[in-house]
Amino acid sequence: MNMKKAVHKITITTTEVVVDGKPLDVTCLGSNIFTELYRKYVNDYPKYFKMDILCKLGFIATELLLQTEGKVRFEPCEDRAVVFFNRSSSLHADKSFESNICNRESFYPSPAMFVYTLPNIVTGEIAIRNKYYGETNFIVIEKRDEDVLENIIDGVFTDNMTTSVVTGWLEAESEEEFNAEIYIIEK
Amino acid sequence: MELKEELKGKIIDALNLEDIVVTDLEDDAPLFGEDGLGLDSIDALELIVLLEKNYGIKISDPKEGKNIFKSVNVMADYVEKNRKK
Amino acid sequence: MNKRILITGMGVVSAIGNNVAENYDSLRKGESGICKVKYLETEHIEFPVGEVKLSNDEMCLLLNIPYTDKESRTDLLGMLAVSEALQSAGLKDTEHLALISGTTVGGMDRTEKFYPDNLSADILENHDCGSGTDRIADYFGNFDFATTISTACSSALNAIIVGAEMIESGQKDIIVVGGTESLSRFHLNGFKSLMILDQSICRPFDADRAGLNLGEGAGFIVIESEDSAKRRGANVLAELKGTGNACDAYHQTASSENGEGAFLAMSKAIAEADIQVTDIQYVNAHGTGTPNNDACESTALMRVFENKMSKVSSTKMYTGHTTSASGSIEAIYSILSLQHQFVPTNIGWSKADDSCVKPYVVGPFGKIDNVMCNSFGFGGNDSSIIISRYGE
Repeated sequence: MNMKKAVHKITITTTEVVVDGKPLDVTCLGSNIFTELYRKYVNDYPKYFKMDILCKLGFIATELLLQTEGKVRFEPCEDRAVVFFNRSSSLHADKSFESNICNRESFYPSPAMFVYTLPNIVTGEIAIRNKYYGETNFIVIEKRDEDVLENIIDGVFTDNMTTSVVTGWLEAESEEEFNAEIYIIEK
Repeated sequence: MELKEELKGKIIDALNLEDIVVTDLEDDAPLFGEDGLGLDSIDALELIVLLEKNYGIKISDPKEGKNIFKSVNVMADYVEKNRKK
Repeated sequence: MNKRILITGMGVVSAIGNNVAENYDSLRKGESGICKVKYLETEHIEFPVGEVKLSNDEMCLLLNIPYTDKESRTDLLGMLAVSEALQSAGLKDTEHLALISGTTVGGMDRTEKFYPDNLSADILENHDCGSGTDRIADYFGNFDFATTISTACSSALNAIIVGAEMIESGQKDIIVVGGTESLSRFHLNGFKSLMILDQSICRPFDADRAGLNLGEGAGFIVIESEDSAKRRGANVLAELKGTGNACDAYHQTASSENGEGAFLAMSKAIAEADIQVTDIQYVNAHGTGTPNNDACESTALMRVFENKMSKVSSTKMYTGHTTSASGSIEAIYSILSLQHQFVPTNIGWSKADDSCVKPYVVGPFGKIDNVMCNSFGFGGNDSSIIISRYGE
């Protein structure tokens, strides 16, 4: 992504976490990384444990980014947008829910699981946590294309309200296949 | 296992209450509301699924949940009276 | 807005018609398309649904593509609606078009049909929302940009908003925007587990309302800059005057009591349109028929309009809640309201609820110049647009 006005950046892969160029100390691998980071850097939001892996990844990445930003937290604002992109949408949650309903003999659709079969729930979770009342969106594209991301983000700033966006690529296909590259971009 | 202890375990499991163990849950403490565990409407729906899955009890009106899920005591009482398995 | 954004084409397929004219006819007659399920293979027949009255093989015939039972119903609905939109905009032979489509089901209707034993790689590859939009684009062959919005029930309206933003920022001149969604067992069961489905036809804003009916369909509009429309002598249907998206930041599925997200989204749209609330003659509400939405949306409407409420109606008792496609289908109904100067009746309403607006059922109304259209999605994703008569 063209970093023209990116003020902070975090990448999370199955093996490492890097915030503004500095790697964080992590001992776990795969999705256990999320809970390790949660325990170390957050640990005050029990709703975290209800989230699916796409939400956990987005939530943790954003938490670390916002902590690095160092501004006052949890004050209601309308001028920060949250816009994520990926290819697989909420595929992992879809599979989990489907396994709940594919067997006639054991047919108990879980409402909590169903909620996460929408990729934009992660933007909702971040907005709830941080009291962000601005624009939120989730875009699904076949292939990661930096031009497409940039075009859409440029568009987000055309309302007369948005001054910053938490945005980037948020992919979590399974417990062992995920990656996040999230930025805070300012106008 | 006593029904109340069993229920507590299932509640913790079904609602992903990671930081809570069975001994943390008091029998007559409110489950919902400000003094409760911070549960919400989705949690109430999950408890409805829990009742059907484990005890064969079907609840068709989500508003009934308010009374049934007041506390572990009230829940256990309801299960005793209405369980089909 | 810095640029005027005009609507120059539209196409829709829903439970009340397979094209714009049929949909308009049903709205005028007050005829609902919600009934017992026919095409979706489900055991939950107790929930009436708003199905499009075409089977998959009938749609393939209309689209002139071979039927193999592997085609996603979501794609087929989308192709039909985009086809009508391109035709109505005079763009059938134009190259280098852009498409933004909102969907959540995508190819789910196929994956669940063949899951797990007959799930071949080609079915699985077509599951994701993004590939569905690509397939719709590929069917026409004249799109070189296609992307997908997936924000639950506000997806289609957000596709319109993102499209407008791309025109505003100079990325594109013309974009086809909207959404498509087919019914699936997956989300029928999901909504059932949330206990918000009604076993009768839904009654938005009624004191006895008991939930929503799921529906399916597709709606697409062509939006373009005024320069582009003038350059090619396009026939203008209406103007997209204002847009707003805001987050309720309250709960994943329920709306906040004071309807904060909805209030902010509507306020943003009105500010962008640079009009007064008294300039809005009709609101096509999200109005799903759930106790929660209708009360919270009403609160938000009353906060926005105060004592100057315009006519309000929901059209979800005609089509069902078409989820990801609802925003664009209802935007088209808003355009029809402007074109034909009528307000769709909120059929089935009979008992006033103190916590809700009184929707339009019968009665006179004046000239309709500006219509607001709302779509609110899970995740607190709330959107609102204002569509206006052009050239007045």
